[in-house]
Amino acid sequence: MIDRYAGIAPKGDLMLLQRLGEIFRGRSFLHVNSTRAGGGVAEILQRMMPILEELGIDARWEVIEADDRFFDITKKIHNAIQGYGEKITEEMWRYYYEVNRSNAGRIDLGADAVFIHDPQPASLIEFRKRRGTWVWRCHIDVSNPVKEVCDHLMRYCEKYDATIFSVAKFTRAISVDEYIIPPSIDPLSEKNRELSDGEINEVLERFGIPGERPILLQVSRFDRFKDPIGVIKAYRMVKKYNDCILILAGSPATDDPEGEVVLNEVREYAAGDPDIFILLLPAFSDREINALQRSATVVLQKSLKEGFGLTVSEAMWKGKPVIGGATGGIPLQIVHGYTGFLVHTPEGAAFRIRQFLNNAAMVKRMGERGREHVRANFLITKQVRDYLSVWYILENKGKTVYEL
Amino acid sequence: MKGTEAESKVEKNRNSSFEFKQCVSILKSTAKRARDLRELREQISTVSEDSIFHHTCQYFLKGRVREYTNDFAQWTGETLEESALAEQLSNIDPYVFRNLSELRKALLSVIDDYLENFPEPKAAMPGEDFCFNETISVVFSAGIKAKNLAEFLVAIKYVDSASIYYHFYEARTRLGGKVDDFSRWFEDVLRERELAEKIRCIDPFMHSIEGIRTHIVEVVEEKVKRDMTVTGTGK
Repeated sequence: MIDRYAGIAPKGDLMLLQRLGEIFRGRSFLHVNSTRAGGGVAEILQRMMPILEELGIDARWEVIEADDRFFDITKKIHNAIQGYGEKITEEMWRYYYEVNRSNAGRIDLGADAVFIHDPQPASLIEFRKRRGTWVWRCHIDVSNPVKEVCDHLMRYCEKYDATIFSVAKFTRAISVDEYIIPPSIDPLSEKNRELSDGEINEVLERFGIPGERPILLQVSRFDRFKDPIGVIKAYRMVKKYNDCILILAGSPATDDPEGEVVLNEVREYAAGDPDIFILLLPAFSDREINALQRSATVVLQKSLKEGFGLTVSEAMWKGKPVIGGATGGIPLQIVHGYTGFLVHTPEGAAFRIRQFLNNAAMVKRMGERGREHVRANFLITKQVRDYLSVWYILENKGKTVYEL
Repeated sequence: MKGTEAESKVEKNRNSSFEFKQCVSILKSTAKRARDLRELREQISTVSEDSIFHHTCQYFLKGRVREYTNDFAQWTGETLEESALAEQLSNIDPYVFRNLSELRKALLSVIDDYLENFPEPKAAMPGEDFCFNETISVVFSAGIKAKNLAEFLVAIKYVDSASIYYHFYEARTRLGGKVDDFSRWFEDVLRERELAEKIRCIDPFMHSIEGIRTHIVEVVEEKVKRDMTVTGTGK
């Protein structure tokens, strides 16, 4: 399987992966998160497990089991951590802890390296086994949170051996090492592999989308932080100048109870416009998303708050021009004016869409640069390489240069 | 400045073929930030040497030529819009200093002079803080060795850009002065002093890593062709 990345991922990444695989052959590596479907974390873990296994590492992925009450609480924690005022009562924290305690009894937490993803299972650290390197892998922005909520969560996080954040500005002053590793896309996955014209057209026909008109596309959960309403506003401004259709496509996630509410708001705002296609795709609609991205003229990720926004890299890998909100990990992917455009308002998005719709040379140029930017920085081979490097560094602490 | 282990291995290889290595940098946050120029000055004066190294010497890892030549200048120019200071910071060559302590002093001196003349610089917008990071380097073999110039020429076209970075940029801090691994091998092992000088004349600030590759290929290719011509005419 690693061989399949030859010619796609940088050679050096593959060589270091093989070397790290030799070092960690037969060692156990556990990942724990809160959902098996929906959202970037689950997607990456799904693709990462076979790579780790092929390297000879005993990799395991566990998902915590919880009820709606738990996910309501963790959604509020998630919002508060990202700076949106939510109050978490003592009773809510107790319930949060109890659900993790019960999962600790169910999941075998014994492994040489244990990566716990995001706030939902963070308190599992209280139940760590004696052996193993424990890392809290945070995919969200904790730089400007509701203080009391963050302080409570950080009491758990500071018990880990280290933390990993996606972007430097997501970090905060805590007492454990903070590594910066961006998430990634898998170029060989169903979502990113090359598709034939026939495969793309089949998807468009199935959804009744006219392929001959310019397509604006945003793929994301129906979440207010992703600003789907702002995207519709931008589309309406563009529509006065250029013919186009808008597709808003997203999958529900089991750990996001607000999705349906936001979806209804979006449907209402679209007000029956026949050129707006709101697609609620089932989980694992990877080929459909791939086809939509490949058929798009312009791709948007107009988030107001964002963990990383991997849909940006997905679209850039397909050579598409991308317009993104200047937030979270999006500016790492979109180098403004070089691999796409960063915007702050629906007006800004509308202007950049019009630029792309009227300048094919710019679309091509930025699309090519975007693909190379993703190749160098945001492929899954690099992320696995970096996870294993951090594991190695934590087991051999004290140096700034390691020769393998 | 960094990496005595790596240095000793280079030493061992001096009398043999050139082994291409490369390094990856694992980024680590120092959790220190600056919102304005005064905070930037304060943090530069106390932050780890590894962080100073990362924001100046490792700037070239970013893979393309930007407006300025180090992260401090880039942030000052683009985020704070203090273009005059950005130009002055950008003009500091991190490789001419004997150690990072001297480089730190040079950065502080330029900022202090500026603050004396323009004491009320504006702050960055929320979320646009300067984040001080540092890196841990993981060095490994690229699996390629060259015994002579012709083999070197084939290899340099093939290796990852991370290998060019390691031997051309990172070597300057590892070996000191303006010396890189390539020119050192040309001079010490192949006894090609003129070629070594030509490599040392390539300005590290004016090119991306791919630009550096192109220049090295040009210079070495010219030398290989000349040697072949000389051999071919029986001289």
